[in-house]
Amino acid sequence: MCNGLAVNWRAFFYVYKTRIQKTLAYRFDVYGNIIWQCIVMFATAYFWKALYTGYDTVKGVQVEDMMTYTIVSSMMSLFFITFVEQRVIQSVEKGTVATDMLKPIPLFGIYFFEDLGYTTSLIVQNVIPIFIIGSIFIGVPVPHSTFMLLLFIPSVIMAYMINWLFAACFSTWAFTAINMNPMVQVKKHLIRLLSGCIIPMWFFPEWLSDILNVLPFVYIYQLPLDIYIGKYEMGILLQKMGIQALWLLVLWCLFVYLQKRVTKHVLVQGG
Amino acid sequence: MLQTMKHYSKVSLAHLRIAVLTVMEYPANMLGWLLSNPIQFILGFATIKFVVEEFGSVCGWGYGQLAFLYGISVISHALSMIFFVQGWFMGYYVIEGDFDRYLLRPMSVLYQFCFTKFNLVGITDLIPGICVFVYGCLQIDYVWTLKNTIYILVTLVGATFIRGGIYLIIGSSSFWTKSINDFGGYTQELFDKTTMYPISMYPESFQFVLTYLLPIGWVSFYPTAELLGIPNGRFAWDGAVWMTLVVGIIVFVAAAIIFKCSLKRYESAGN
Repeated sequence: MCNGLAVNWRAFFYVYKTRIQKTLAYRFDVYGNIIWQCIVMFATAYFWKALYTGYDTVKGVQVEDMMTYTIVSSMMSLFFITFVEQRVIQSVEKGTVATDMLKPIPLFGIYFFEDLGYTTSLIVQNVIPIFIIGSIFIGVPVPHSTFMLLLFIPSVIMAYMINWLFAACFSTWAFTAINMNPMVQVKKHLIRLLSGCIIPMWFFPEWLSDILNVLPFVYIYQLPLDIYIGKYEMGILLQKMGIQALWLLVLWCLFVYLQKRVTKHVLVQGG
Repeated sequence: MLQTMKHYSKVSLAHLRIAVLTVMEYPANMLGWLLSNPIQFILGFATIKFVVEEFGSVCGWGYGQLAFLYGISVISHALSMIFFVQGWFMGYYVIEGDFDRYLLRPMSVLYQFCFTKFNLVGITDLIPGICVFVYGCLQIDYVWTLKNTIYILVTLVGATFIRGGIYLIIGSSSFWTKSINDFGGYTQELFDKTTMYPISMYPESFQFVLTYLLPIGWVSFYPTAELLGIPNGRFAWDGAVWMTLVVGIIVFVAAAIIFKCSLKRYESAGN
């Protein structure tokens, strides 16, 4: 048992390493991501600057905090790119899901470590350049305090897992749906708009932010960013991190259930 | 001359018929986009509205006026998607040798490229565009005189040509680089950020670029600012509505020339 587990880790590490090497080979994707994220980052920063003309503080937030918010959010959205949906859609369409399932490690384990490998190479190739570009042209995104920075890290890791598990649960739909692309688009836009990625929750009407606070989306972007800029007091933030952990658990259970259900029903055509 | 035009329009109509039949063959696919595209644009506008309501206005634009701007932007985006989306995918045509077929037929290659493949999925973008636009018109009590109606139509035609021309120019780069260069996503992001918001919120150097070098400012910002009588920055011209049409024609003619020159470098696909 113990031995089997050790072999699995080696296999996972191999998937992880291969993915990093593969990402390093495709240079254009890297520059493309930076260009795209810079457009979004600068447009958002100037949008806030224009809105804040004539105001010092709105909803307890200063314009400098909004700039920090924008840069850190841009860095996070690169960090949160997942391929699990595309991967599942393609393997189901082409039938390669069968060979993936033959491998001696769990199907979604392969996809997770591929995504993790991609994320790792993005940190060096994209997240750091965005940090430097943002710092030079917009302003250095300083965290509220060292303690908040320490709290930010576990919160981002949980956010990464929530984001990935949500994508993985969503991707199981591909085993039954014919064309997933429009749905993937809907999901992408819902997350971008309702998670605080571009516009923080506190600007939304109260009824809407109350609803959104119950859903998992805000625990992907909003909570880590709230922590980074020190929007709330420690007690409230820790309480929110509790809810974040709870969502992580719920999504994990859902993921385990869905994964078991769909892999049982895989039917590959052809011989 | 008349004979040729008749022939060309007959060919286009035949292709339009095929496009409609294709869509009818896969209704579920269309239904998916019919759900996803409106959600994306309507939610996108809703978030802008919440924020601008909080602050009052952005660069002198209230949210009713922004809805008008956003509407023009999305409608012209939809029209450009219907007629010119191929520009985004020109790289695939170049690499896979698809221009062979066009070159063999006794018709203009550019004409065939633009007007023998109608992307009816673009209609699903048209619906949210019109919704937000009508909402904006109601908010600001836009008066629908004959003159104003003509102005809107002229703007939309000009804007569609500017977008289409830019897609073609970007796509033509594939003839020179011999690679796919799929810039679609970045182009869309850039257009979204510069046509859905007033460009007067950006620094003057960038406004200059958007006015003269990459004339995206004319797509929605300058004509809308003139129609609604809002201050429109340093580089504005009088008669912006007609200028949009002129700029549209110039950009498209330039794109046609660039396309023609680039086509000479076409080598077809080989092994």
